Amino acid sequence: MATARPGWSRKAQYGLFFSFIAAIGGLLIGLVMLAISLVSPRAYDSVRGVALDVTAPVTGGLREVTATVGGLFTGAGNYWDAAHQNAKLKREREMMLQRIVEAKAIQLENQELKAALQLRERSEKPVASGRIVGSSFSSPRRYAIFSAGTADGVRVGMPVRSPRGLIGRVIDSGSLASRVLLVSDRASIVPARILRGGQPVISQGRGDGTVDLRPLEVGRNPFRPGDIVITSGTGGLYPPLVPIARVVRLDDDGAIALPLADPGSTSFAIVEQPYEPAAVAEEAAGAQQVQ
Amino acid sequence: MVRAALAPARQIGQGPVPGARYVPAITVVIASLILAVLPIVSTSGWFPDLGFLVLIAWRLLRSDAWPAWWAAPLGFANDLLTGAPIGLSVAVWTAAMLILDIADRRTEWRGYWLEWAMATVLLLGNEAAEWRVAQIMDASVPFYTVLAPLLIAVLAFPIIAFFVARTDRWRLGR
Repeated sequence: MATARPGWSRKAQYGLFFSFIAAIGGLLIGLVMLAISLVSPRAYDSVRGVALDVTAPVTGGLREVTATVGGLFTGAGNYWDAAHQNAKLKREREMMLQRIVEAKAIQLENQELKAALQLRERSEKPVASGRIVGSSFSSPRRYAIFSAGTADGVRVGMPVRSPRGLIGRVIDSGSLASRVLLVSDRASIVPARILRGGQPVISQGRGDGTVDLRPLEVGRNPFRPGDIVITSGTGGLYPPLVPIARVVRLDDDGAIALPLADPGSTSFAIVEQPYEPAAVAEEAAGAQQVQ
Repeated sequence: MVRAALAPARQIGQGPVPGARYVPAITVVIASLILAVLPIVSTSGWFPDLGFLVLIAWRLLRSDAWPAWWAAPLGFANDLLTGAPIGLSVAVWTAAMLILDIADRRTEWRGYWLEWAMATVLLLGNEAAEWRVAQIMDASVPFYTVLAPLLIAVLAFPIIAFFVARTDRWRLGR
């Protein structure tokens, strides 16, 4: 029989035995720590923040390199079929100019109507801007590393968006960097509306870079491929009218959609205040009371 | 590496590098760190858990790479760096060390295929634990979604094991 006895040395035998006991101790400590992080996810905030501060600047520096290399390849790709592309872009530009004029007219009308109703415009000043520099790699969870932290005013719970659409919300923050729960994470649920028609829906991530859309009202499947889904502002965390995703496939009672703000190619993103901080704080207080 | 014994006798002045005892643990931390600072944004999460792969590659190569309990602090470092729930890697990595200690007593012989099979079982355990913890944290995805990353990790194991074996020979000055 292959024995684990390392010869006749008592010292070596005891060493092996105590190492075994210590390993069992380590396992138990690990399970306790895991239980704590499952029960109260905020328990390790400070240590996690420090770890983020250590790694994020390195990632940020390296990110420049990958962005440049990626840019070289896509830049070269743009020369392929350039004449055809040029004609197409010119046509699109003509159409866009028309749309812009229409949009300006609508905006003006909107302002007049709002003035008539005496609605107050909420000033939406961004808290901080930064870049998405890295992400989680090997788990069903979808996080991204964002290059601004508490030193810039970023706090846990704030929504993050890019010019193209919603990215997610902050869940960990160090002083230089923070971790963002992406819209495509399973635990990320966003109240939304379909842009065409305004029917309320719920968006939940699927953990693989796409999101699941479900209508709030039971009935016929309201989605069509190509539909854009925007935030509704319900719940008070995410601001309304931020694009979330585009429907790519329908299933029996909902649809699967691709987030419009692809964190992989997003260069800049901004952190905003929760849309209605009072509502969010109230909800958090309520949750604490329930616990 | 058994083949190292067939190599010509070593030269005078060659020997273990300074701090050879700590080289395995350092490589595990570096592997965790690579995943933490990799400047890519993954939207599918199919990257193998490099820290865990390097850990079991070392442990399958040598039983004396480190005392079994070192897996706990190494796992803690991995949790901090990769953003996993604190305690997940501590528990899973230490459990892997204990399982391999028991496996060392039970197996009469070892070979490449058996080691790969053992690594596959441990990687499956790791993915399943990650999946279950995500489920508890309100992020339940269907179990089949972990199969693709598991396959990638299993296929990555021989490559990692090769680099670990090379590092082992370098650290011992062979």
